[in-house]
Amino acid sequence: MKDLLYKEYRLCMQPIVYIFFGFVLMLLIPSYPYTIPCFFIGNAIFNSFQVSVGNNDSLFTAMLPIAKKDVVKAKLFFIISIQLIMLLLYVPMIALNNALYDGCNNAGIDACPALIGSCFVLFGLFNVTFLPCFYKTGYRTGRAFLISTIVVFAWIVLSEGFFIAARAAMDQAPLFNWIETHIDCRAETGAQWCAQLIYTAVGALIWAALSSAALVRSAKAFEKVDV
Amino acid sequence: MSLLTVKGLTKSYPGFTLDKVSFSIEPGYIMGFIGRNGAGKTTTMKAMLNLIKKDSGEVLFDGRDYFENEMECKQQIGFVNGEFSCYLKSKLRTIADVTMRFYDEWDEALYREYLRRFDLDDNKRVSELSAGMRVKFALALALSHNAKLLILDEPTSGLDPVSRDDLLDVFRSVIEDGRHSILFSTHIISDLEKCADMITYIKHGRILASCDVESFKSGYLLVSGESADLAEAGSYLLGVKKHAFGFTGLIRAEDAERAGGLRTAPADLESIMIYIEQEAENEGSAL
Repeated sequence: MKDLLYKEYRLCMQPIVYIFFGFVLMLLIPSYPYTIPCFFIGNAIFNSFQVSVGNNDSLFTAMLPIAKKDVVKAKLFFIISIQLIMLLLYVPMIALNNALYDGCNNAGIDACPALIGSCFVLFGLFNVTFLPCFYKTGYRTGRAFLISTIVVFAWIVLSEGFFIAARAAMDQAPLFNWIETHIDCRAETGAQWCAQLIYTAVGALIWAALSSAALVRSAKAFEKVDV
Repeated sequence: MSLLTVKGLTKSYPGFTLDKVSFSIEPGYIMGFIGRNGAGKTTTMKAMLNLIKKDSGEVLFDGRDYFENEMECKQQIGFVNGEFSCYLKSKLRTIADVTMRFYDEWDEALYREYLRRFDLDDNKRVSELSAGMRVKFALALALSHNAKLLILDEPTSGLDPVSRDDLLDVFRSVIEDGRHSILFSTHIISDLEKCADMITYIKHGRILASCDVESFKSGYLLVSGESADLAEAGSYLLGVKKHAFGFTGLIRAEDAERAGGLRTAPADLESIMIYIEQEAENEGSAL
Protein backbone atom coordinates (compact mmCIF):
# COMPACT_ATOMS: atom_id res chain seq x y z
CA MET A 1 0.00 0.00 0.00
CA LYS A 2 2.97 2.29 0.64
CA ASP A 3 3.89 2.05 -3.04
CA LEU A 4 0.33 2.75 -4.14
CA LEU A 5 0.17 5.81 -1.93
CA TYR A 6 3.52 6.92 -3.36
CA LYS A 7 2.03 6.51 -6.84
CA GLU A 8 -0.97 8.63 -5.88
CA TYR A 9 1.21 11.45 -4.57
CA ARG A 10 3.72 11.36 -7.44
CA LEU A 11 1.29 10.93 -10.34
CA CYS A 12 -2.20 11.94 -9.20
CA MET A 13 -1.83 14.66 -6.57
CA GLN A 14 -2.60 18.05 -8.08
CA PRO A 15 -0.96 21.25 -6.80
CA ILE A 16 -4.43 22.74 -6.38
CA VAL A 17 -4.88 20.47 -3.34
CA TYR A 18 -2.34 22.64 -1.49
CA ILE A 19 -4.43 25.72 -2.28
CA PHE A 20 -7.49 24.00 -0.85
CA PHE A 21 -5.53 23.25 2.33
CA GLY A 22 -5.28 27.06 2.60
CA PHE A 23 -9.03 27.24 3.21
CA VAL A 24 -8.21 26.23 6.78
CA LEU A 25 -7.49 29.97 7.24
CA MET A 26 -11.27 30.43 7.27
CA LEU A 27 -11.05 29.42 10.91
CA LEU A 28 -9.70 32.91 11.48
CA ILE A 29 -13.05 34.43 10.47
CA PRO A 30 -14.66 35.51 13.79
CA SER A 31 -18.02 33.81 13.21
CA TYR A 32 -18.37 31.20 10.50
CA PRO A 33 -19.54 27.59 9.98
CA TYR A 34 -16.09 26.13 10.61
CA THR A 35 -16.87 22.78 8.99
CA ILE A 36 -17.04 24.54 5.59
CA PRO A 37 -13.25 24.40 4.91
CA CYS A 38 -13.54 20.60 4.97
CA PHE A 39 -16.13 20.80 2.21
CA PHE A 40 -13.48 22.49 0.07
CA ILE A 41 -11.19 19.49 0.58
CA GLY A 42 -13.90 17.48 -1.17
CA ASN A 43 -13.50 19.95 -4.01
CA ALA A 44 -9.76 19.28 -4.12
CA ILE A 45 -10.35 15.51 -4.18
CA PHE A 46 -12.92 15.93 -6.96
CA ASN A 47 -10.34 17.92 -8.95
CA SER A 48 -7.68 15.24 -8.45
CA PHE A 49 -10.09 12.53 -9.60
CA GLN A 50 -10.99 14.52 -12.71
CA VAL A 51 -7.34 14.83 -13.65
CA SER A 52 -6.76 11.14 -12.86
CA VAL A 53 -9.57 10.16 -15.23
CA GLY A 54 -8.00 12.32 -17.95
CA ASN A 55 -4.66 10.65 -17.27
CA ASN A 56 -6.05 7.09 -17.65
CA ASP A 57 -4.96 6.44 -14.09
CA SER A 58 -7.29 3.47 -13.60
CA LEU A 59 -5.85 1.61 -16.60
CA PHE A 60 -2.25 2.30 -15.58
CA THR A 61 -2.90 1.21 -12.00
CA ALA A 62 -4.93 -1.85 -12.96
CA MET A 63 -2.06 -3.06 -15.15
CA LEU A 64 0.37 -3.00 -12.22
CA PRO A 65 0.80 -6.28 -10.34
CA ILE A 66 -1.95 -5.52 -7.86
CA ALA A 67 -5.52 -6.72 -7.39
CA LYS A 68 -8.29 -4.62 -8.90
CA LYS A 69 -9.65 -3.80 -5.44
CA ASP A 70 -6.26 -2.27 -4.59
CA VAL A 71 -6.88 0.37 -7.25
CA VAL A 72 -9.81 1.52 -5.12
CA LYS A 73 -7.89 1.11 -1.88
CA ALA A 74 -5.11 3.36 -3.20
CA LYS A 75 -7.58 6.13 -3.96
CA LEU A 76 -9.28 5.79 -0.57
CA PHE A 77 -5.95 5.95 1.27
CA PHE A 78 -5.02 9.00 -0.80
CA ILE A 79 -8.29 10.69 0.19
CA ILE A 80 -7.87 9.70 3.83
CA SER A 81 -4.34 11.09 3.95
CA ILE A 82 -5.53 14.44 2.55
CA GLN A 83 -8.38 14.55 5.05
CA LEU A 84 -6.05 13.80 7.96
CA ILE A 85 -3.61 16.49 6.84
CA MET A 86 -6.50 18.97 6.75
CA LEU A 87 -7.57 18.00 10.28
CA LEU A 88 -4.00 18.35 11.51
CA LEU A 89 -4.00 21.87 10.06
CA TYR A 90 -7.20 22.53 12.01
CA VAL A 91 -5.36 22.09 15.34
CA PRO A 92 -3.13 25.20 15.20
CA MET A 93 -5.91 27.20 13.55
CA ILE A 94 -8.32 26.35 16.40
CA ALA A 95 -5.65 27.49 18.88
CA LEU A 96 -5.07 30.69 16.90
CA ASN A 97 -8.83 31.36 16.69
CA ASN A 98 -9.10 30.98 20.45
CA ALA A 99 -6.15 33.31 20.97
CA LEU A 100 -7.61 35.98 18.68
CA TYR A 101 -11.28 35.99 19.68
CA ASP A 102 -13.18 35.87 22.95
CA GLY A 103 -16.81 35.44 21.93
CA CYS A 104 -18.82 32.44 20.80
CA ASN A 105 -19.27 31.42 17.17
CA ASN A 106 -22.79 32.52 16.20
CA ALA A 107 -22.69 30.58 12.91
CA GLY A 108 -22.29 27.08 14.37
CA ILE A 109 -19.97 25.03 16.53
CA ASP A 110 -17.14 26.92 18.22
CA ALA A 111 -13.53 26.52 17.14
CA CYS A 112 -12.79 23.79 19.65
CA PRO A 113 -11.60 20.14 19.71
CA ALA A 114 -15.18 18.91 19.14
CA LEU A 115 -15.17 20.73 15.78
CA ILE A 116 -12.76 18.06 14.53
CA GLY A 117 -15.35 15.39 15.42
CA SER A 118 -17.92 17.15 13.23
CA CYS A 119 -15.35 17.35 10.43
CA PHE A 120 -14.63 13.60 10.72
CA VAL A 121 -18.32 12.85 10.14
CA LEU A 122 -18.36 15.25 7.18
CA PHE A 123 -15.39 13.44 5.63
CA GLY A 124 -16.97 10.04 6.30
CA LEU A 125 -20.16 11.13 4.53
CA PHE A 126 -18.10 12.43 1.61
CA ASN A 127 -16.21 9.14 1.30
CA VAL A 128 -19.27 6.91 1.48
CA THR A 129 -21.11 8.88 -1.20
CA PHE A 130 -18.35 10.05 -3.56
CA LEU A 131 -16.26 6.89 -3.95
CA PRO A 132 -18.96 4.24 -4.58
CA CYS A 133 -20.73 6.57 -7.00
CA PHE A 134 -17.48 7.25 -8.88
CA TYR A 135 -16.50 3.58 -9.08
CA LYS A 136 -19.83 2.58 -10.58
CA THR A 137 -18.26 3.74 -13.84
CA GLY A 138 -14.66 4.58 -12.97
CA TYR A 139 -14.89 7.85 -14.89
CA ARG A 140 -18.00 9.85 -13.91
CA THR A 141 -16.73 12.38 -11.40
CA GLY A 142 -19.47 15.00 -11.81
CA ARG A 143 -22.38 12.90 -10.58
CA ALA A 144 -20.33 11.56 -7.66
CA PHE A 145 -19.37 15.09 -6.62
CA LEU A 146 -22.92 16.41 -6.93
CA ILE A 147 -24.35 13.65 -4.73
CA SER A 148 -21.58 13.95 -2.16
CA THR A 149 -21.97 17.75 -2.09
CA ILE A 150 -25.70 17.45 -1.33
CA VAL A 151 -25.05 14.98 1.51
CA VAL A 152 -22.12 16.94 2.94
CA PHE A 153 -24.04 20.21 2.83
CA ALA A 154 -26.99 18.56 4.54
CA TRP A 155 -24.60 17.55 7.34
CA ILE A 156 -23.15 21.07 7.56
CA VAL A 157 -26.62 22.62 7.81
CA LEU A 158 -27.85 20.03 10.34
CA SER A 159 -24.79 19.96 12.58
CA GLU A 160 -24.07 23.69 12.57
CA GLY A 161 -27.80 24.41 12.84
CA PHE A 162 -28.05 22.04 15.80
CA PHE A 163 -25.40 23.96 17.75
CA ILE A 164 -27.01 27.32 16.86
CA ALA A 165 -30.35 25.96 18.09
CA ALA A 166 -28.74 24.47 21.20
CA ARG A 167 -27.26 27.86 22.08
CA ALA A 168 -30.64 29.55 21.64
CA ALA A 169 -32.39 26.97 23.82
CA MET A 170 -29.70 26.36 26.42
CA ASP A 171 -31.57 28.25 29.15
CA GLN A 172 -34.72 26.19 28.57
CA ALA A 173 -33.30 22.65 28.29
CA PRO A 174 -30.65 21.14 30.59
CA LEU A 175 -29.35 18.86 27.78
CA PHE A 176 -28.71 21.81 25.48
CA ASN A 177 -27.14 23.65 28.38
CA TRP A 178 -24.76 20.72 28.93
CA ILE A 179 -23.95 20.57 25.22
CA GLU A 180 -23.20 24.30 25.11
CA THR A 181 -21.06 24.21 28.23
CA HIS A 182 -19.18 20.98 27.39
CA ILE A 183 -19.15 20.39 23.59
CA ASP A 184 -19.82 23.70 21.81
CA CYS A 185 -17.32 25.75 23.78
CA ARG A 186 -13.63 26.17 24.33
CA ALA A 187 -12.06 23.22 26.09
CA GLU A 188 -10.67 24.64 29.31
CA THR A 189 -11.74 22.31 32.13
CA GLY A 190 -11.05 18.59 32.36
CA ALA A 191 -14.75 17.81 31.88
CA GLN A 192 -14.88 19.91 28.74
CA TRP A 193 -11.76 18.24 27.31
CA CYS A 194 -13.15 14.83 28.15
CA ALA A 195 -16.56 15.49 26.56
CA GLN A 196 -15.02 17.00 23.44
CA LEU A 197 -12.45 14.25 22.97
CA ILE A 198 -15.21 11.63 23.28
CA TYR A 199 -17.25 13.59 20.70
CA THR A 200 -14.22 13.67 18.40
CA ALA A 201 -13.48 9.98 18.94
CA VAL A 202 -17.08 9.09 18.06
CA GLY A 203 -16.73 11.27 14.95
CA ALA A 204 -13.49 9.46 14.05
CA LEU A 205 -15.17 6.07 14.52
CA ILE A 206 -18.05 7.11 12.27
CA TRP A 207 -15.49 8.33 9.70
CA ALA A 208 -13.62 5.02 9.87
CA ALA A 209 -16.83 2.99 9.56
CA LEU A 210 -18.15 5.06 6.64
CA SER A 211 -14.75 4.92 4.90
CA SER A 212 -14.64 1.13 5.30
CA ALA A 213 -18.15 0.88 3.86
CA ALA A 214 -17.02 3.14 1.00
CA LEU A 215 -14.11 0.79 0.27
CA VAL A 216 -16.26 -2.35 0.27
CA ARG A 217 -18.98 -0.82 -1.92
CA SER A 218 -16.52 0.85 -4.31
CA ALA A 219 -14.36 -2.26 -4.74
CA LYS A 220 -17.48 -4.34 -5.44
CA ALA A 221 -18.69 -1.82 -8.03
CA PHE A 222 -15.27 -1.49 -9.66
CA GLU A 223 -14.95 -5.27 -10.10
CA LYS A 224 -17.75 -5.01 -12.66
CA VAL A 225 -16.21 -2.05 -14.50
CA ASP A 226 -14.28 -2.68 -17.71
CA VAL A 227 -11.05 -0.72 -17.43
CA MET B 1 4.05 -26.78 -21.08
CA SER B 2 2.36 -23.73 -22.61
CA LEU B 3 3.29 -20.38 -21.15
CA LEU B 4 -0.20 -19.05 -21.78
CA THR B 5 -3.36 -21.03 -22.39
CA VAL B 6 -6.69 -19.36 -23.03
CA LYS B 7 -9.71 -21.66 -22.95
CA GLY B 8 -13.24 -20.70 -23.90
CA LEU B 9 -12.89 -17.03 -22.96
CA THR B 10 -16.30 -15.43 -23.39
CA LYS B 11 -17.56 -11.91 -22.90
CA SER B 12 -20.87 -10.58 -24.17
CA TYR B 13 -21.77 -7.00 -24.93
CA PRO B 14 -24.89 -5.76 -26.67
CA GLY B 15 -24.01 -6.23 -30.34
CA PHE B 16 -20.73 -8.09 -29.82
CA THR B 17 -19.69 -11.37 -28.26
CA LEU B 18 -16.22 -12.65 -27.63
CA ASP B 19 -17.13 -16.25 -28.27
CA LYS B 20 -15.19 -19.06 -26.57
CA VAL B 21 -11.78 -17.74 -27.54
CA SER B 22 -9.10 -20.39 -27.14
CA PHE B 23 -5.41 -20.46 -28.04
CA SER B 24 -2.06 -21.12 -26.42
CA ILE B 25 1.52 -19.90 -26.65
CA GLU B 26 4.60 -21.97 -25.97
CA PRO B 27 7.70 -20.40 -24.42
CA GLY B 28 10.12 -18.98 -26.98
CA TYR B 29 7.58 -17.96 -29.63
CA ILE B 30 6.09 -14.78 -31.01
CA MET B 31 2.39 -14.97 -31.75
CA GLY B 32 0.72 -12.42 -33.97
CA PHE B 33 -2.88 -11.68 -33.10
CA ILE B 34 -4.71 -10.37 -36.12
CA GLY B 35 -8.19 -9.39 -37.12
CA ARG B 36 -10.04 -6.32 -38.29
CA ASN B 37 -10.89 -3.35 -36.12
CA GLY B 38 -13.61 -4.48 -33.73
CA ALA B 39 -12.88 -8.17 -34.21
CA GLY B 40 -12.15 -8.57 -30.49
CA LYS B 41 -8.35 -8.41 -30.18
CA THR B 42 -8.21 -5.76 -27.44
CA THR B 43 -11.24 -7.25 -25.66
CA THR B 44 -9.51 -10.64 -25.64
CA MET B 45 -6.29 -9.20 -24.24
CA LYS B 46 -8.08 -7.17 -21.57
CA ALA B 47 -10.36 -10.06 -20.59
CA MET B 48 -7.32 -12.32 -20.29
CA LEU B 49 -5.75 -9.82 -17.90
CA ASN B 50 -8.94 -9.27 -15.87
CA LEU B 51 -9.13 -5.65 -16.98
CA ILE B 52 -12.49 -6.61 -18.43
CA LYS B 53 -14.72 -8.92 -16.42
CA LYS B 54 -15.12 -12.15 -18.40
CA ASP B 55 -18.41 -14.02 -18.53
CA SER B 56 -16.68 -17.41 -18.61
CA GLY B 57 -13.47 -19.08 -19.63
CA GLU B 58 -10.12 -19.97 -18.22
CA VAL B 59 -6.66 -18.45 -18.52
CA LEU B 60 -3.61 -20.40 -17.42
CA PHE B 61 -0.28 -18.63 -17.14
CA ASP B 62 2.76 -20.82 -16.61
CA GLY B 63 0.45 -23.60 -15.46
CA ARG B 64 -1.36 -21.47 -12.88
CA ASP B 65 -4.88 -20.10 -12.96
CA TYR B 66 -4.39 -16.43 -13.85
CA PHE B 67 -7.48 -15.17 -12.05
CA GLU B 68 -6.58 -16.91 -8.79
CA ASN B 69 -2.94 -15.83 -8.94
CA GLU B 70 -3.39 -12.46 -10.61
CA MET B 71 -0.72 -10.50 -8.74
CA GLU B 72 1.98 -13.17 -9.11
CA CYS B 73 1.15 -13.59 -12.80
CA LYS B 74 1.21 -9.84 -13.46
CA GLN B 75 4.74 -9.72 -12.07
CA GLN B 76 5.74 -11.82 -15.07
CA ILE B 77 3.58 -10.19 -17.72
CA GLY B 78 4.21 -6.93 -19.52
CA PHE B 79 1.18 -5.32 -21.14
CA VAL B 80 1.41 -2.47 -23.62
CA ASN B 81 -1.90 -0.98 -24.65
CA GLY B 82 -0.90 0.95 -27.76
CA GLU B 83 0.93 4.18 -27.18
CA PHE B 84 1.48 5.31 -23.60
CA SER B 85 -1.33 7.79 -22.86
CA CYS B 86 -1.23 8.07 -19.09
CA TYR B 87 -0.05 11.05 -17.01
CA LEU B 88 0.70 13.24 -20.00
CA LYS B 89 2.22 16.01 -17.90
CA SER B 90 4.47 13.75 -15.84
CA LYS B 91 8.11 13.12 -16.62
CA LEU B 92 9.16 9.69 -17.84
CA ARG B 93 11.53 9.30 -14.90
CA THR B 94 8.68 9.93 -12.45
CA ILE B 95 6.51 7.28 -14.10
CA ALA B 96 9.40 4.81 -14.18
CA ASP B 97 10.24 5.59 -10.56
CA VAL B 98 6.67 4.71 -9.58
CA THR B 99 6.43 1.64 -11.84
CA MET B 100 9.68 0.03 -10.65
CA ARG B 101 8.41 -0.13 -7.07
CA PHE B 102 5.78 -2.68 -8.03
CA TYR B 103 8.03 -5.21 -9.77
CA ASP B 104 10.26 -7.63 -7.86
CA GLU B 105 12.50 -8.16 -10.87
CA TRP B 106 12.80 -4.61 -12.14
CA ASP B 107 16.16 -4.26 -13.88
CA GLU B 108 17.25 -0.63 -13.78
CA ALA B 109 20.28 -1.27 -16.01
CA LEU B 110 18.05 -2.92 -18.60
CA TYR B 111 15.62 0.00 -18.41
CA ARG B 112 18.50 2.45 -19.01
CA GLU B 113 19.62 0.30 -21.92
CA TYR B 114 16.16 0.46 -23.54
CA LEU B 115 16.00 4.23 -22.98
CA ARG B 116 19.31 4.52 -24.83
CA ARG B 117 18.28 2.09 -27.55
CA PHE B 118 14.94 3.84 -28.12
CA ASP B 119 16.57 7.28 -27.86
CA LEU B 120 14.28 8.32 -24.99
CA ASP B 121 15.11 11.23 -22.68
CA ASP B 122 13.55 10.48 -19.30
CA ASN B 123 13.55 14.17 -18.40
CA LYS B 124 10.84 14.72 -20.99
CA ARG B 125 7.15 14.68 -20.21
CA VAL B 126 4.84 12.17 -21.90
CA SER B 127 3.04 15.00 -23.73
CA GLU B 128 6.35 16.00 -25.34
CA LEU B 129 6.76 12.59 -27.01
CA SER B 130 5.53 11.65 -30.45
CA ALA B 131 3.12 8.72 -30.78
CA GLY B 132 5.98 6.43 -31.74
CA MET B 133 8.14 7.50 -28.82
CA ARG B 134 5.24 6.88 -26.45
CA VAL B 135 5.00 3.31 -27.74
CA LYS B 136 8.73 2.91 -27.16
CA PHE B 137 8.41 4.23 -23.61
CA ALA B 138 5.59 1.78 -22.88
CA LEU B 139 7.75 -1.00 -24.26
CA ALA B 140 10.75 0.07 -22.21
CA LEU B 141 8.60 -0.17 -19.06
CA ALA B 142 7.18 -3.54 -20.08
CA LEU B 143 10.56 -5.00 -21.04
CA SER B 144 12.43 -3.86 -17.93
CA HIS B 145 10.90 -6.19 -15.37
CA ASN B 146 11.92 -9.42 -17.06
CA ALA B 147 8.39 -10.35 -18.03
CA LYS B 148 8.07 -13.92 -19.29
CA LEU B 149 5.18 -12.89 -21.49
CA LEU B 150 4.71 -9.61 -23.31
CA ILE B 151 1.18 -8.81 -24.40
CA LEU B 152 1.30 -5.93 -26.83
CA ASP B 153 -1.78 -4.32 -28.33
CA GLU B 154 -0.85 -2.57 -31.58
CA PRO B 155 2.72 -1.82 -30.47
CA THR B 156 4.02 -0.89 -33.91
CA SER B 157 1.13 1.17 -35.25
CA GLY B 158 2.59 4.61 -34.57
CA LEU B 159 6.17 3.80 -35.51
CA ASP B 160 8.15 4.69 -38.61
CA PRO B 161 9.56 1.75 -40.65
CA VAL B 162 13.07 2.03 -39.15
CA SER B 163 11.74 2.04 -35.59
CA ARG B 164 9.39 -0.82 -36.40
CA ASP B 165 12.25 -2.86 -37.76
CA ASP B 166 14.33 -2.07 -34.67
CA LEU B 167 11.44 -3.10 -32.47
CA LEU B 168 11.01 -6.39 -34.28
CA ASP B 169 14.70 -7.04 -33.62
CA VAL B 170 14.03 -6.35 -29.94
CA PHE B 171 11.15 -8.84 -30.04
CA ARG B 172 13.41 -11.52 -31.52
CA SER B 173 16.12 -10.86 -28.95
CA VAL B 174 13.57 -11.07 -26.10
CA ILE B 175 12.43 -14.57 -27.06
CA GLU B 176 15.74 -16.04 -28.17
CA ASP B 177 16.50 -17.53 -24.73
CA GLY B 178 13.50 -19.82 -25.24
CA ARG B 179 11.83 -18.78 -21.96
CA HIS B 180 10.01 -15.63 -23.04
CA SER B 181 7.07 -15.22 -25.41
CA ILE B 182 5.27 -12.35 -27.08
CA LEU B 183 1.63 -12.00 -28.07
CA PHE B 184 1.09 -8.94 -30.18
CA SER B 185 -1.81 -7.62 -32.14
CA THR B 186 -1.22 -5.58 -35.23
CA HIS B 187 -2.73 -4.36 -38.46
CA ILE B 188 0.68 -4.22 -40.10
CA ILE B 189 0.86 -7.65 -41.65
CA SER B 190 4.42 -7.16 -42.89
CA ASP B 191 5.52 -7.03 -39.23
CA LEU B 192 3.99 -10.45 -38.69
CA GLU B 193 5.71 -11.83 -41.78
CA LYS B 194 9.02 -10.61 -40.40
CA CYS B 195 8.89 -11.93 -36.88
CA ALA B 196 5.82 -13.99 -35.92
CA ASP B 197 6.17 -17.74 -35.50
CA MET B 198 2.52 -18.32 -34.73
CA ILE B 199 -0.65 -16.60 -35.71
CA THR B 200 -4.07 -16.34 -34.14
CA TYR B 201 -6.78 -14.94 -36.34
CA ILE B 202 -9.94 -13.56 -34.78
CA LYS B 203 -13.05 -12.63 -36.72
CA HIS B 204 -16.27 -11.30 -35.19
CA GLY B 205 -15.14 -12.44 -31.74
CA ARG B 206 -14.35 -16.00 -32.82
CA ILE B 207 -10.99 -17.59 -33.38
CA LEU B 208 -10.72 -18.56 -37.03
CA ALA B 209 -7.27 -20.12 -36.78
CA SER B 210 -4.45 -20.46 -34.30
CA CYS B 211 -1.38 -22.19 -35.65
CA ASP B 212 2.12 -21.54 -36.99
CA VAL B 213 2.37 -18.94 -39.74
CA GLU B 214 3.50 -21.35 -42.47
CA SER B 215 0.66 -23.81 -41.78
CA PHE B 216 -1.79 -20.94 -41.87
CA LYS B 217 -0.43 -19.62 -45.17
CA SER B 218 -0.23 -23.05 -46.77
CA GLY B 219 -3.92 -23.55 -46.05
CA TYR B 220 -4.82 -21.02 -48.74
CA LEU B 221 -3.97 -20.29 -52.35
CA LEU B 222 -4.38 -17.21 -54.48
CA VAL B 223 -6.08 -17.87 -57.80
CA SER B 224 -6.58 -15.78 -60.89
CA GLY B 225 -8.52 -16.37 -64.08
CA GLU B 226 -10.59 -14.95 -66.91
CA SER B 227 -13.98 -13.42 -66.26
CA ALA B 228 -15.60 -16.43 -67.93
CA ASP B 229 -14.14 -18.77 -65.28
CA LEU B 230 -15.65 -16.83 -62.43
CA ALA B 231 -19.08 -18.41 -62.49
CA GLU B 232 -17.64 -21.90 -62.05
CA ALA B 233 -15.03 -20.86 -59.48
CA GLY B 234 -17.48 -18.75 -57.50
CA SER B 235 -18.69 -21.67 -55.37
CA TYR B 236 -15.36 -22.25 -53.68
CA LEU B 237 -13.80 -18.77 -53.82
CA LEU B 238 -13.45 -17.29 -50.32
CA GLY B 239 -13.13 -13.80 -51.71
CA VAL B 240 -12.81 -12.27 -55.13
CA LYS B 241 -11.69 -9.06 -56.78
CA LYS B 242 -12.79 -8.41 -60.34
CA HIS B 243 -10.74 -6.36 -62.76
CA ALA B 244 -10.60 -5.60 -66.49
CA PHE B 245 -8.76 -8.84 -67.35
CA GLY B 246 -10.64 -11.24 -65.13
CA PHE B 247 -10.46 -11.81 -61.40
CA THR B 248 -8.19 -12.78 -58.53
CA GLY B 249 -9.36 -14.55 -55.46
CA LEU B 250 -8.56 -16.82 -52.54
CA ILE B 251 -9.35 -20.49 -52.16
CA ARG B 252 -8.63 -23.10 -49.52
CA ALA B 253 -5.64 -25.27 -50.47
CA GLU B 254 -7.87 -28.35 -50.26
CA ASP B 255 -9.92 -26.92 -53.16
CA ALA B 256 -6.84 -26.61 -55.40
CA GLU B 257 -7.87 -29.56 -57.56
CA ARG B 258 -11.24 -28.01 -58.29
CA ALA B 259 -9.42 -24.90 -59.51
CA GLY B 260 -7.49 -26.87 -62.11
CA GLY B 261 -8.08 -24.40 -64.89
CA LEU B 262 -7.05 -21.39 -62.84
CA ARG B 263 -3.62 -20.00 -62.15
CA THR B 264 -2.65 -20.51 -58.51
CA ALA B 265 0.04 -18.92 -56.36
CA PRO B 266 1.05 -19.15 -52.69
CA ALA B 267 -0.96 -16.79 -50.54
CA ASP B 268 0.64 -14.20 -48.30
CA LEU B 269 -0.86 -13.17 -44.94
CA GLU B 270 -2.14 -9.82 -46.13
CA SER B 271 -4.00 -11.32 -49.09
CA ILE B 272 -5.51 -14.02 -46.90
CA MET B 273 -6.75 -11.43 -44.42
CA ILE B 274 -8.17 -9.16 -47.11
CA TYR B 275 -10.04 -11.95 -48.90
CA ILE B 276 -11.30 -13.58 -45.71
CA GLU B 277 -12.64 -10.28 -44.45
CA GLN B 278 -14.21 -9.70 -47.86
CA GLU B 279 -15.94 -13.06 -47.48
CA ALA B 280 -17.21 -11.90 -44.10
CA GLU B 281 -18.59 -8.70 -45.64
CA ASN B 282 -20.29 -10.68 -48.40
CA GLU B 283 -21.84 -12.99 -45.81
CA GLY B 284 -23.00 -9.92 -43.93
CA SER B 285 -24.55 -8.33 -47.02
CA ALA B 286 -26.20 -11.63 -47.96
CA LEU B 287 -27.82 -11.68 -44.55
